[in-house]
Amino acid sequence: MILPRGVAQPTELIKRLNALAPFPSGVVNLRFTVENDWSGDPAIFFWITLSDEGARPAVLSQTSRRIMDFVTQRLDPMGQWGLIPYFNFRSQSEQANLKEEVFG
Amino acid sequence: MAYHHDLIQHAVFLSELNLPHEPKQVDLRRAVSAAYYGLFHLLTTEAAQNWKHQNQRDRFARMFDHGRMKTCSSRVSSRPLSVDTAEVIIATALKLVADSFVKLQQARHSADYDNSKVWSRTQVREMIAQAEDAMAAWSNIRETEIAQDYLLDLMGTR
Repeated sequence: MILPRGVAQPTELIKRLNALAPFPSGVVNLRFTVENDWSGDPAIFFWITLSDEGARPAVLSQTSRRIMDFVTQRLDPMGQWGLIPYFNFRSQSEQANLKEEVFG
Repeated sequence: MAYHHDLIQHAVFLSELNLPHEPKQVDLRRAVSAAYYGLFHLLTTEAAQNWKHQNQRDRFARMFDHGRMKTCSSRVSSRPLSVDTAEVIIATALKLVADSFVKLQQARHSADYDNSKVWSRTQVREMIAQAEDAMAAWSNIRETEIAQDYLLDLMGTR
């Protein structure tokens, strides 16, 4: 079995991800985990905390689309790293309340 | 109203319950599931419309398999866009549909089976918006050849 590059070269992946900054407006924090998705395919999960302004319902869709496009185009998770990208968003005030570790 | 629209409306209703207080996890989880099934049923119903015998269409729609639909959608989502400018708009819309399908399916699986994950209202609103955007994109391309090819490929055929 051939490991996807994102699994075989984690240090390279981290280096590439760190080089993505600065992120589009609205991003307060961006973390990621590499694990299999529900069907066993290798994947990269992004856990993104948004500013409360960027997470307002009226603009949330544009904010998230801008960030997903930014990461997908700059990193090309599937083409370059063999990882299916999944994105999870929450607002800064939600994270302050929930304090979920994966979001940082 | 079509069933897939009802599912999206139901997802929105569930995600906004208990405002202005904290949402209940059960409502958020069911909202994510409803959003995924909105897109799932839209695509399988559209495919079934191509089946000649109307009284068999519901049975036809049940032949779709989540895993095979994901494999197909993932392939469409990651393939390079056509260089033909006339096709790029259609291909971009189809990629949005396929990509949203993959992401919503993963979210639905997590919402239904992973109790360790805590959902927030923003996460769920974003998932619902993805489903709505995918449905809107689909309505613009549904009669095109590549969209119809996608429906056939969703069955797992090559």
